[in-house]
Amino acid sequence: MRHDTREGKAGSHTMAAVLTGSAAELTETLASPGRPRGRSRRQRTIADNLAAYLFMAGGIACFAAFSWYPIVRGIFLSFQQTNFVTDPEWVGFANFQAIFADPLFWTAWRNSLYFTVLALIFGYAVPFVAAVLLNELRHFTGFLRVTVYLPVMLPPIVSVLLWQYFYDPGPGLFNSVLRGLGMPTSEWIQSTDTAMISLVLVSTWANMGASTIIYLAGLQAISGELYEAAELDGAGLWRRIRHVTIPQMRFLLVVMLLLQIIATMQVFIEPYRLTGGGPENATVTVLLLIYRYAFVTNYDFGLATAMSVLLFVVLAAFSAIYLRLTRRAD
Amino acid sequence: MTIAGARTLVSARDIGKGRGRAIYLIVLIATMVLFSLAFIFPLYWMVIGAFKDSAELSQPTPTLVPEQWHPETYRTAWQTMQIAHFFLVTLGYAAGAWLFQIIFDVGVAYALSKLRPMFGNVVLALILATLMVPSAAMLVPNYLAVVDVPLLHINLINTPFAIWLPAVANAFNIYLLKRFFDQIPNDLLDSAAIDGAGRARALWHVVLPISRPVLAVVSIFAIIGVWKDFLWPLLVEPDPSKNTISTALSRLGTEVPREELMAGLVFASIPMIVIFLVFQRSILNGLTAGGIKG
Amino acid sequence: MKTGTTSKALGLALTASIALLSAACSSKEKTPEATGPVTLIVNGQPPASAAEDRQNFDDDVKAFETKYPNINIEPREGFMDPKTFPAKLAGGQLEDVFYVYFTDPAGLIARRQVMDVSTYLKDYPTLADIRPDLLKVFSDSAGKVYGVPTANYSMGLLYNRKLFTQAGLDPNSPPKTWDDVRAAAKKISTLGNGVVGYGDYSKSNTGGWHFTQWMYSLGGDVAAKDGDTWKAAFNNDQGKQVLQYLHDMRFTDNSMGSRQLLEWADLLTMMGAGKLGMYLAAPDNVPLLVKQFKGTYADYGLAPAPGGIATLGGGEGYMFKPGLSEAKVRAGLTWIAWKYNNPDRSDEKNQKAKAADSPVGLPEPMIWTGSSAQKVKDSAVKFANVPVENYQSFAQAAGTIQVKVEPPNAQQIYAVLDNVMQAVLTKQDANFDALLKSAETQVNTILASVK
Repeated sequence: MRHDTREGKAGSHTMAAVLTGSAAELTETLASPGRPRGRSRRQRTIADNLAAYLFMAGGIACFAAFSWYPIVRGIFLSFQQTNFVTDPEWVGFANFQAIFADPLFWTAWRNSLYFTVLALIFGYAVPFVAAVLLNELRHFTGFLRVTVYLPVMLPPIVSVLLWQYFYDPGPGLFNSVLRGLGMPTSEWIQSTDTAMISLVLVSTWANMGASTIIYLAGLQAISGELYEAAELDGAGLWRRIRHVTIPQMRFLLVVMLLLQIIATMQVFIEPYRLTGGGPENATVTVLLLIYRYAFVTNYDFGLATAMSVLLFVVLAAFSAIYLRLTRRAD
Repeated sequence: MTIAGARTLVSARDIGKGRGRAIYLIVLIATMVLFSLAFIFPLYWMVIGAFKDSAELSQPTPTLVPEQWHPETYRTAWQTMQIAHFFLVTLGYAAGAWLFQIIFDVGVAYALSKLRPMFGNVVLALILATLMVPSAAMLVPNYLAVVDVPLLHINLINTPFAIWLPAVANAFNIYLLKRFFDQIPNDLLDSAAIDGAGRARALWHVVLPISRPVLAVVSIFAIIGVWKDFLWPLLVEPDPSKNTISTALSRLGTEVPREELMAGLVFASIPMIVIFLVFQRSILNGLTAGGIKG
Repeated sequence: MKTGTTSKALGLALTASIALLSAACSSKEKTPEATGPVTLIVNGQPPASAAEDRQNFDDDVKAFETKYPNINIEPREGFMDPKTFPAKLAGGQLEDVFYVYFTDPAGLIARRQVMDVSTYLKDYPTLADIRPDLLKVFSDSAGKVYGVPTANYSMGLLYNRKLFTQAGLDPNSPPKTWDDVRAAAKKISTLGNGVVGYGDYSKSNTGGWHFTQWMYSLGGDVAAKDGDTWKAAFNNDQGKQVLQYLHDMRFTDNSMGSRQLLEWADLLTMMGAGKLGMYLAAPDNVPLLVKQFKGTYADYGLAPAPGGIATLGGGEGYMFKPGLSEAKVRAGLTWIAWKYNNPDRSDEKNQKAKAADSPVGLPEPMIWTGSSAQKVKDSAVKFANVPVENYQSFAQAAGTIQVKVEPPNAQQIYAVLDNVMQAVLTKQDANFDALLKSAETQVNTILASVK
């Protein structure tokens, strides 16, 4: 038996606290950049700053060359027309005007928002519930964790083939089961009404593993005494969840919500592979439109990058507002 | 996993006795069945698919057990698609990407967390902002940055650096690392400083040993990221012998029968699952607050 | 913008100086071949997993370099991938001579991403016999040519002879009209066991692509020139007829199966599994069915497009990277003329193909006219190893049926028409008039930008 070393204790709630405390940090960081928050009282000397940047040199160089520089270049592209052979031509806001004039523009944004809302309703709670469940189980926990994460590791083409079969309105698995149970069947991805929800289901299945594991970490950090105390006060199962679990997890839930919104607004794989944007454009998302602009219909990177710039602005604005509103959380 | 006596939502006492125990067993079994069906079934289907022949594989209603078993497909796939070669190549890319990320990203996270230089928050904000940029439209600018690296003007195409260096620009991993380091009590570092340790020594002797769990997480994400990616390596490692396994499969897969492609995909998935299985104890035990004491 | 201009400039300088040097040293006679050692980067090399094709390609490279010692071929794997093409072009990594589908030249020419090779073509006699309508695909409105076709196909009706026999139909007299198709589909779908009588696409632009084929086969058009502008041409009786047929087969006869939102690979899969009676396809699908889906040649037959009026044509060819030196262009044309468009090598190719169990005797590709066409046909007859009689009706009609190319801005139009196909195949109460009207408006907007 390992005894409770100082090191063990330090590492012990660290990971969990990492993620529970992250909301506070993110808030502080992004809402007030440039204001140094020192914990220690030491004065920052030039040597200190230089040393710090030395540690960061490699990472910052890679970011600069392979992340920030391409992004800036991408922003330039959004104001240009280029054929990649002759010199690019500056066209001001023409690309932006063109995408605003595209009849699919508003459809794509509407669909992306719709997907995000649905994904939050169905896909936000599910990993949390799964994590709570896994946390309570005391047997086969390793096995269960691995299975939850498996879809993340599966090659996309396998999932696509499988879900196409699941969703086939005729001999497909889901409708066969529904028929067997005497329940009404659905058109799944072939109906404009149910296509989006069907995609959300696939997306939840494919991605919940990562979120579940992160929530598990957070749950582990909750002190058992709080539950003891609650039970002594006579709280039943649901009250314990409402008054201990959720408040303790609040920071994590808030941060994961933001991260999930940012991710789901960029949904691409499921519409691309399962519905191709159909039926009747019901599942055309912003990312799918960007992809089409670049590689399918227009071969125009000016349009694609213009839309990407828009997306970035929207997400950044949303994040800023969100963080300001949740700043006083807890 | 929790130690006996550690308390979660439901107490051990509740589960130990009669009705509580019955409910617990029902929930446990239901969860096992549900999770197996939902998450393992696709893996099973992929493995079994490679044992079938083309005609059976193409049926609109898949069969649970192959009517005829064709294990030789696995051997054919192994040889035709040169799986062994691409495993080695991909391993090289993954190992290098892992090493570069661990070194450089830890450096950034440590500096931002513990050394706290001026404008550190600006750097962090710039790093986190990259999470909001869709990669599809960045394909050409990213590629151009590799063909003609700014300032240095070298061409990294067909070198492993085209995969290793851009991998370092991983905002999510840096964020995880930084958050973890933030929670390390500063008195630990202060006592190390009193003992005469400089910044580097503090990192090596104090911070890293405690950080094994998050390092395991970052390692997993780094390795699996390289393993699964197929479009970027297709662009920057066009030499067929330098493809990653995923790229090779997408390239070769159009020329071989479906079941061979399935077999190839099974081979490609195995290392990822193995890596996860190997690391999951330290990740999850680490994630679960190092609570297992025994 | 340093988009690889340094490396391009270097490459150009190098070739130019070599050409100058060798021009100074060589004799006065100007042969159509390159006038000095030239390295030519080409793609179109089959991947290693297609063992025989790959071996043939590599052998061809060696044979070519022996015959033309001044040209060094550097082959690259792959064909045309729109995802990697812009990056390669921007980064200066595009091959000198690269593969395209017939759908690519129009856009590439309009965006000035390819090189005009018209002035060099006359020095290549073998290329003179190419069908002019195919060369037109690679030309702009002024008649300048930017590439060379190497294979073509036109769509017909691919049907499963075995299923026909099982359903009591005569495999040797395939459906001639869409009414025939409907009747046959109904019979075949009664075979049960998941068998579908007729299948069609509705996803990833393949739906719109096939809608175009439907319109052509009924004698209609998707887009027509009205004076100086292009206008949508499908919101009419023929358009409604197409939708009516699809609707009737799908919902009234239930002969199209319940699974829709299909794209290219899906119908191939179904046909390969013996679950599909008929679908619109070009002859190049047949070897795919055999190779990838383990079908047998004897099972498949090809009939001309129902209606027999017109059909949609497509194909492949090679184009030239912009800014190439004259030496490289000539080298490229020499390569194409020798490797792909060489009627004199037909016997040799067909012999090898037959030995490798590759199909010889399919009715297409046929890019030739005149004496070249005869040479190729005779060679095919000599070495045929597929049941040529299965494709007889198709081959016979190929001379008379009109082959039309895609409309301008095809991909964008197909995306719009995809929705029409999806609606009619998934909604029993689809409103044809509304669908066609809405699509017409959108397509007219797309066509408005055509120069």
